[in-house]
Amino acid sequence: MTAPMVNLTIEGRAVAVPAGTTILEAAKVAGVLVPHYCYHPGLPVAGVCRMCLVEVEKMPKLAPSCATTVGEGQVVHVYSEKALEARKGVLELLLINHPLDCPICDQSGECELQDYTFAEGRADSRYREPKRFNPVEDFGGDVMYVPNRCILCTRCVRFMDDLAHDEALCVQERGDRASIGKATEKDLTHPWAANVVDLCPVGALLSKDFLNKARAWELDRTASVCPNCAQGCNTIVETRDNVVMRFKPRTNTEVNQYFLCDEGRLDYRWLNRADRATQPMIDGVLADWEEAIHAAARLAKGATVRLVANASLSNEALYLLKRAFGPGVITVRTGAEAPLPGASDLALRADRAANATGAEWMGYRRVSAPLEGLGAGDVLVIADHDLTGVSAEAVSRAKAVIVIGTQVPAAVTAPNVVLPIANMAEEEGTFTNLRGRVQRFLQAKAAPGMARPSWFVLADLATQLGQPAVHFTAGAVFDALAKAEGAFAGLSYDTVALKGKLAAGATAGARA
Amino acid sequence: MSHGPSASGGALVAAAPHGHDHAPYTPVFTAGSARRAELDALITRYPTKMAALLPALWMVQEERGWIAPEAMSEVASVLDLTAAYVKGVVTFYTMYHQHPVGRHFIQVCTTSPCLCAGADKVVDSFLEHTGCKELGVTSPDGKFTVIEVECLGACGFATPVQINADYVENVTPEKVPAILAGLK
Repeated sequence: MTAPMVNLTIEGRAVAVPAGTTILEAAKVAGVLVPHYCYHPGLPVAGVCRMCLVEVEKMPKLAPSCATTVGEGQVVHVYSEKALEARKGVLELLLINHPLDCPICDQSGECELQDYTFAEGRADSRYREPKRFNPVEDFGGDVMYVPNRCILCTRCVRFMDDLAHDEALCVQERGDRASIGKATEKDLTHPWAANVVDLCPVGALLSKDFLNKARAWELDRTASVCPNCAQGCNTIVETRDNVVMRFKPRTNTEVNQYFLCDEGRLDYRWLNRADRATQPMIDGVLADWEEAIHAAARLAKGATVRLVANASLSNEALYLLKRAFGPGVITVRTGAEAPLPGASDLALRADRAANATGAEWMGYRRVSAPLEGLGAGDVLVIADHDLTGVSAEAVSRAKAVIVIGTQVPAAVTAPNVVLPIANMAEEEGTFTNLRGRVQRFLQAKAAPGMARPSWFVLADLATQLGQPAVHFTAGAVFDALAKAEGAFAGLSYDTVALKGKLAAGATAGARA
Repeated sequence: MSHGPSASGGALVAAAPHGHDHAPYTPVFTAGSARRAELDALITRYPTKMAALLPALWMVQEERGWIAPEAMSEVASVLDLTAAYVKGVVTFYTMYHQHPVGRHFIQVCTTSPCLCAGADKVVDSFLEHTGCKELGVTSPDGKFTVIEVECLGACGFATPVQINADYVENVTPEKVPAILAGLK
């Protein structure tokens, strides 16, 4: 049953929202962002910061819009003189003990205190007394606490209590001495604890990993999907000068809400590896792309091919590999599952691969020993697989080895052909998460050397192997895939868009 | 500027090691103990266990002299709370000691009326005769800690001094040695 709709006017704009909506959320519908600190859509409402005060006609006092639900016929003024004056006062009080060390603060440029002070605060300070000082504290995990910058919104406390269910934080002391406290024997090593850094509206909670590495305004932001487990959390890949600096969560209420686990967010350095395959090679000699593709096709044609694929390759790459060689085998690295208990169906998944579901839907077999039973006359095709745990001796049983990857695995001592491809941050494509949701990721940086997007290389290769695949974009590959593979029927690259879509395979008996 | 005894941002410095205060923490509410029985009886008077938090903390302070981080964990587990929540409460109230203090905890009122009556001289006298030298610092013999407090509500008897749970009124600098001599 849907809630009845309530009509109200916000800043002169008529809006209709379901009963029970807060004024702050209704204002978003009207296109008005009410300034706020303690409110966060993913956390319980606290109503402690008083930054979201708005004037509601016929109400005797200003109302905290995060904690006031809409009423029929309400007339809300966000920018009335009274509301602006109140919020200016709140900002002045927040800035009393705030160090204004923006030039050396990591949050600068993405700081809500900066933004709202710029928008609505006083131009100067009337405070002349010494400011409170407390030393920086290591909260454990990836989190550092700078109490001087803290505005006590308690988002971090509520995240640890209500989402992580690991009550490590509290507000300690009181009045002008208050700060965020950590229970003595606790720290922020919960697998999801680093989300408090994203939630912190100011520079009080900082990522140790990102500390002093880049300024917010230097970063280029690209919509992407975390490649580090089967959950497929939506991310923003932030790069500077073609280097991935960090992952941030991208809101998707169907997948990861507002969050991203610590392991996922901190495992981005492999995207920046310098020891990459950057040139097409034939028998150890540099070749151009045309020659290398032809050489690979000649080796594979008519031979028994063992295809070993990385389970984090895109759907597009796996589809084209299948067209070229038939479905191969994948291995999936596993680890402990780590749920975020306060969110539904959100966890760091045991499968630490982005696309095992997509691969299995297309007929790839999950194995633990990828080279088992490799025949002496077989051609081994390594598709971005690192061959961890496989010996050079095992590889040498193959008649020929074709490496299509970001790197040449250590176990492959003499590859016959190397076709260098882009990693997931250097190309676009889609992954299928463990619930069968197909999600797109975009290109965040340039591939090194002559490396090409995987779908580009594999389309050429499939064509040379007599499986015509002429595609000019990753989207065209996906659309061909959706026509050919029943599990993806009905999807298109455009409708998958940036929030993803459940595939037909998800309802037709996908893995739980 | 006066600070409560718990003021981490103030002059209070953890006392020099003395006696039992830095020994490993010994739980207060062990099964079968008198304090446990007292707390269990108290809990029955409230709708929630959480409501017994303040008295439980008082019991710890009476037994151990201060509330150590380990004590917060103990109280948390006894009352089904989290250590972080207990820490928030302990630090909120200035009368819970977060550091060891002397056996005689001396609080001198220095709010305006008492100050007019010479409370600052009383403070100086206490600091000198106890050997504490500084506010919030425990005397070398571990007997005394002196702090300033806001209004003790005895303005008619300036200067009042609270020593542990007892009031001494009309204190002047000259009376201090005799008061201290009367303390065990």
